[in-house]
Amino acid sequence: MLGIWIGKLVTWLLRMRGMDATSFPGKIALKFSPRLIAWFGRRIERVIVVTGTNGKTTTTSLLAAMMQHEEPVITNHKGANLLQGIATAFLQHASWTGKLSAKTAVLEVDEATFPLLADSLPIVVIAVTNVFRDQLDRYGELDVTVDKLFSAIRKTDACLVLNADDPICRNLGLRASRKTYYYGMSRDTARAALRRQMRDGQFCMNCGHELVYDAFWYGQLGLYRCPSCDFARPHPEFIGVYRGKTMALCEEQLPEVELKMPVQGLYNAYNVLAAASAARVIGLWAGPIHDGLADYNPPDGRMQSFDTKAPVTLNLIKNPTGCDSVVQAVVSEPGEKVVVIGINDLAADGRDVSWLWDADFELFAEDANVVSFIASGYRAEDMALRLKYAGIDSSRIRVESDMDAAMDSAIESARLQRVPVFALCTYTLLHKTVHTLTAKARDHERANAEYRASVS
Amino acid sequence: MNERTLNIAHLYPDLLNLYADRGNIVTLVQRLRWRGIEATVHEVTHQDAPRLSAYDLVLLGGGSDREQEIVGEYLLKHKQEFKAAVDSGLPLLAICGGYQLLGAFYQLPNGQKIQGLDILDMYTSAGTGLPRLIGNVAIETEYGIVMGFENHGGRTVHQHRPLGKVLHGHGNDGESGYEGVHHMNIWGTYIHGPLLPKNPQFADAVLATALEYAGHSAVLDPLDDVVEESARRAFLARRMPDVTTSPDAATAQPK
Repeated sequence: MLGIWIGKLVTWLLRMRGMDATSFPGKIALKFSPRLIAWFGRRIERVIVVTGTNGKTTTTSLLAAMMQHEEPVITNHKGANLLQGIATAFLQHASWTGKLSAKTAVLEVDEATFPLLADSLPIVVIAVTNVFRDQLDRYGELDVTVDKLFSAIRKTDACLVLNADDPICRNLGLRASRKTYYYGMSRDTARAALRRQMRDGQFCMNCGHELVYDAFWYGQLGLYRCPSCDFARPHPEFIGVYRGKTMALCEEQLPEVELKMPVQGLYNAYNVLAAASAARVIGLWAGPIHDGLADYNPPDGRMQSFDTKAPVTLNLIKNPTGCDSVVQAVVSEPGEKVVVIGINDLAADGRDVSWLWDADFELFAEDANVVSFIASGYRAEDMALRLKYAGIDSSRIRVESDMDAAMDSAIESARLQRVPVFALCTYTLLHKTVHTLTAKARDHERANAEYRASVS
Repeated sequence: MNERTLNIAHLYPDLLNLYADRGNIVTLVQRLRWRGIEATVHEVTHQDAPRLSAYDLVLLGGGSDREQEIVGEYLLKHKQEFKAAVDSGLPLLAICGGYQLLGAFYQLPNGQKIQGLDILDMYTSAGTGLPRLIGNVAIETEYGIVMGFENHGGRTVHQHRPLGKVLHGHGNDGESGYEGVHHMNIWGTYIHGPLLPKNPQFADAVLATALEYAGHSAVLDPLDDVVEESARRAFLARRMPDVTTSPDAATAQPK
């Protein structure tokens, strides 16, 4: 109980000072009551966990938004997915006596943290987005991540909601041997043309043979099969037909449900599909799934748009596969554009930026629609070098280390050419840039309003 | 007008591609292409037998312990061929895990020994309870200051000529003050990061050696390395301000 009071007190103090409390109260509370999460675990009825490499935050928020149409839920916001963030989420929904205001929790859990709390919560469903290579300096190796996920799953009785298109997820499903539902994209939307892309886990984990891909979507997600054993992409229970602004959710024997996409890009289509599938497994009908998507606000840096003098779309990049899907999304936007890429190397970004060389920036070289590039951040020069070796002429690449100045300059030149700006940046540049762009958008709106007023 | 062409083999990219080895390949190919020299990259996967006589330059990248063990087994089958090829001067650039495999063995923390190619009088052990050697690294070499990132558990000991003297970072074993190896036309190093993009002089030295081995003229036209130099300067200034930039700047001047 001491932990709860202290946690509540810390939350209250932070709020008084107008500060965000997504992790810190939980961190302090856990210092005083290390078993706090298990304590809450005995007081909640069911927990739905979302884990995986990319798309955890979006999928969790989407699922929580859908479920909130049925009942109040506890959820950890803004990607606070370590123990302290999860403890904070519970604290925020607990009274001073520890009574929780909701019976259900939808939690985003980091892969490495998952085994630490798997047996302290009544987990009924585990949804896995995908298993990609993440920051190597944090996890070491992919195998370690898979083993951690597997050991966490084994500690629960939960059923699984897995990505059928990801061979590593499929393997997880086979090893876990329990009730498992798969979701995947409609076969006919996969691309037959094979692009040389970095793929993880392209070996059959049953027999070691190299997997064969009949087609794929991105990264290792595709229509895979092992040529020497029966390992193959399973037929998914939930099939998504992504059409850009909308996605159809198909289930056997049920009418197709048309869902409006609140976030763009193929990788977001996977997030919507994962959330909708998990919602169906929990027992939600189409209504709340539809409404949840409608009132969902994308978090910072997920194809987030700003109505500045020239429109800006902002994206977070942090690992090769996530970066590839962002680059693909930007390249697939029609028309000319200015691209800004900000790379920092602070602890939260990862000190080592070698992953830039694994990401497919060559896609930009093939896109003649990018009028100019600005490399920014502490590692602006490394980014410029990467673009040069991707085959982009150095004359089209400018270095401006200060991200604010880079955005100013990009917006100005984009405004003159009447084209939009696409900005990509690493974690420690994101929130500052969101802040600056929000202010710029507000100024732009005000200037427009004044202009109109003076004319009328 | 330019008849020169180079065959580059990237060994086991399917298994050893942990730390952006792709960046090294891209750098070699682009620096040739910008000079009008064609390059063919042969990706030799674990299913193919390396045809060492067909290559002018071989790259061996880094992998995790498990993958390294698998690669070790594949390589061992071709041990004699490798020995003969490097004795005849085949240029071989080996990074991190690949570097360790050039020695007699790599001993894992659990005591298990992964047999190496035994091309060099060298061995590596991970030791027990020793910290990983991680961080930015700069070394003084005959190609100027070579810089990048290192991340290795293994300590490598050898009696050959090192690639360079450690100016910042850990190097081969964190104690000797030396990094990498340079013996015959073999270069081994723990620097990934990746190695070649920010070290164009070294990249060119590797290319010149390979061209000569292929029987071509080893003279390389100078390139505009302004972007490379600025990345080098910024990296040193931000990450290793203790490493003086002046000798590097001097050696970087075109002759």
